[in-house]
Amino acid sequence: MARTCIWDDIAPLLRSVERPGRYVGAEIGSHVPDPDAFGFCMIYPDTYELGQANQAVRILVNRAQQVPGVSAERAYMPGADMADALRAHGLPMFSLEGTSPLHEFDCIGITLPHELCATNIYEILDLGRIPITWDVREEDDPIVIGGGPCAFNPEPFSRAFDAILIGEGEESVPQVLSLIRDMRASGAPRADILRALSQVEGTYVPALYELQDGALTPMSGAPERVEKRVFEGFADSSGWEDMVVPFVECVHDRLNVEVLRGCSRGCRFCQAGMIYRPVRERSAENIVQSVMEGIEGTGYEEVSLTSLSTTDHSQIAQILQDLNARLEGSGVRISVPSQRLDSFGVEMADAVAGQRRGGLTFAPEAGSQRLRDVINKNVTEEDLMSAVRAAVNAGWQRVKLYFMIGLPTETDEDVAEIGRLATEAFRIMRELTPPEDRGRLKMTVALAVFVPKAHTPFQWEGQIPPEEARRRAQIVREATRFRAIKVDYHEPKTSLLEAVMSRGGRDVALLVEEAWKRGARFDAWTEHFSQEAWDEAASALGVDMAALAHDPLDVDGPLPWDHVSSGVTKRFLALERKRALAGITTEDCTFGACSACGVCSPSGPAICLQEERAHE
Amino acid sequence: MSEMRQFRLRIRYGKEGKCAWLSHLELTHALERVVRRSGLPFALTQGFSPHMKMAFGPALPVGVGGAFEVFDVVLSSYVPVDQALESLKACEAPNLPMKECAYVDTASPAASVAFSKSIYEVCLSEPLDRLVIPSVVTVLRKGKERQFETQDFLADEPRLTEDGFTFSLVSKDTGSLRADAFANAVLKASAEDAGSAPQVTAFTRTSLG
Repeated sequence: MARTCIWDDIAPLLRSVERPGRYVGAEIGSHVPDPDAFGFCMIYPDTYELGQANQAVRILVNRAQQVPGVSAERAYMPGADMADALRAHGLPMFSLEGTSPLHEFDCIGITLPHELCATNIYEILDLGRIPITWDVREEDDPIVIGGGPCAFNPEPFSRAFDAILIGEGEESVPQVLSLIRDMRASGAPRADILRALSQVEGTYVPALYELQDGALTPMSGAPERVEKRVFEGFADSSGWEDMVVPFVECVHDRLNVEVLRGCSRGCRFCQAGMIYRPVRERSAENIVQSVMEGIEGTGYEEVSLTSLSTTDHSQIAQILQDLNARLEGSGVRISVPSQRLDSFGVEMADAVAGQRRGGLTFAPEAGSQRLRDVINKNVTEEDLMSAVRAAVNAGWQRVKLYFMIGLPTETDEDVAEIGRLATEAFRIMRELTPPEDRGRLKMTVALAVFVPKAHTPFQWEGQIPPEEARRRAQIVREATRFRAIKVDYHEPKTSLLEAVMSRGGRDVALLVEEAWKRGARFDAWTEHFSQEAWDEAASALGVDMAALAHDPLDVDGPLPWDHVSSGVTKRFLALERKRALAGITTEDCTFGACSACGVCSPSGPAICLQEERAHE
Repeated sequence: MSEMRQFRLRIRYGKEGKCAWLSHLELTHALERVVRRSGLPFALTQGFSPHMKMAFGPALPVGVGGAFEVFDVVLSSYVPVDQALESLKACEAPNLPMKECAYVDTASPAASVAFSKSIYEVCLSEPLDRLVIPSVVTVLRKGKERQFETQDFLADEPRLTEDGFTFSLVSKDTGSLRADAFANAVLKASAEDAGSAPQVTAFTRTSLG
């Protein structure tokens, strides 16, 4: 049956909601929907401004649209005011392109970008008139699939999804959509579709796993362990593909060109560094060409060369040189995120800064060399100081330093070292600046609380309680000298929830559902986060959230995500943990020897570098 | 640099359909990107953050469309108007059609100040029998109330149309009465008078002169 367009019902609501441009679609680059085709709606579980630039949405909508007989649309979580207005007027959540109710689609895809989006999933399904959990969906309801970084511990999300795609979706999403399209066309029952989905590599079907004696056990031939998908054609694929240019001002509102995927620096707290392996670089030629085509196709005035560690690209200097030459006089700015912490990183920042000298950001993560060795952040104090020196010499006057507190083995001495290190760096900034200009120098020390993440060497470690975090932040403040150094620390109300979601099992799925029923939504938004909703839900279900976040897990015991594999073996993670506790570092395998993490295989994924990577 | 010749291209375009819901700021970004995509030789300002030299006609409120809106862009070399229009049309957004191009003297007033009279049309879900025009419209802005004598801003008498009403406003150096504030006040007064509650279904500036 053709999907309906409810624009005429929605338009009158737009007079009374914030930023109505969020709901109109019709942007440059958006697809023209076919209401008669198999419908796929790709959803970002937060508002349009936050989700529009998301690369998963861009890539997967494009891929889905290429599947014969499939029409792909997008949707974003409506703002709280719009969500309430839809309910008050008895209207469902809808897609942007065709303004069609979500429940009329054949398949709904929701990306899981961070832990705090969980209650939004239920809000979206409920607003879209789709039964919120898989166990109560009827034959004609859409198949609801999820994916993204948080899929690597799928359990807290497991009740909402019929299937969860682990790893990169470039190839698996078209595969899964074709399967659902064909089976729906032949009238196959829902249960059969789910069983068939479980046989597609990298697809986790929660309905087919049962909790037996504390471990999830597969049924109906579902795999014991779901292996993540890797898009092996990444390096050779073009860095430019269709993208939507929004009307509404959005975060990261610019052309994004993904220059490489993965990072194997091996920071032991970092989930992205484990789950996106192996490292694959696109060629300089591909990247430069992609930027030029993208600028021409979108009209953007800024391009960001995105990745987890852009300045690690083996051809980065050449790329920036070529782009500067090609973009000269066009007014197009180049930005390079995630600054590498050494003078080479500053050199690269300098190469694209033009006449702008905003702030430079570095992430030493820990204050003492001992603790930096524990977390495998392979930078020295001298690296930081030489980076700061280079930054001031190149004209920067504002520097921001990121640190974590509550890292495993951290002592008060390590914490105080953060203050000392920042003070020392600031002293260098002053020395290199003429006295009359010193008043303009500024430094921000941003502190975040360590959140243990699944699939990392620190997955077994506990998080420190909020009051302890406050105490340690105070130590940093007291160890900091100059008044121009601002220590930035936010009350970690949501850090605890992040830790619970990051490592929770099926019991946490019930907790999320209960919290949503008690009014939790937009947990990532300070103004919407409701501690009461979560507290009430936890006490109603007898869940001890503090214990889930703070207690270490048994290194030899089962983990709630044991049935999902990122390719990195549990044995490697345990070994890395052991090395961490002994203060032994591990080298980045794209610069040195293989660390045997388990991701690469002769017939499967492999590291792809354009040239040899060299230190400095 | 000052000897370099510059050409001010004035473009007429529509703010139609779903794009009526864009804010003025959103609209200006969208138009800048149309110009960038078009490949026209736009001029940049000098300075730390060079940007396109553009000027926009008087802002429309969110929710109000425009049939024949206007913006200026300064070019650094001459492009025949037909060719310029064609380049712009080739990369316009579906609801922001480019309609006309003409060069205007760089010394004449820019689009932002050159137009003072706007004609609007409001379509309603049910027609009114009679228009009631309040003599004063009170507008609340940033917590402050300001009163506008409607006669000072009306170019002529508002009148009923088949499915709503039409009116024209002139802007003044001392301030302008917002079209949506005026229309809402008229609608409220007229609806009270008639004992009905029609909804606005479309709101468009049909002419800007």
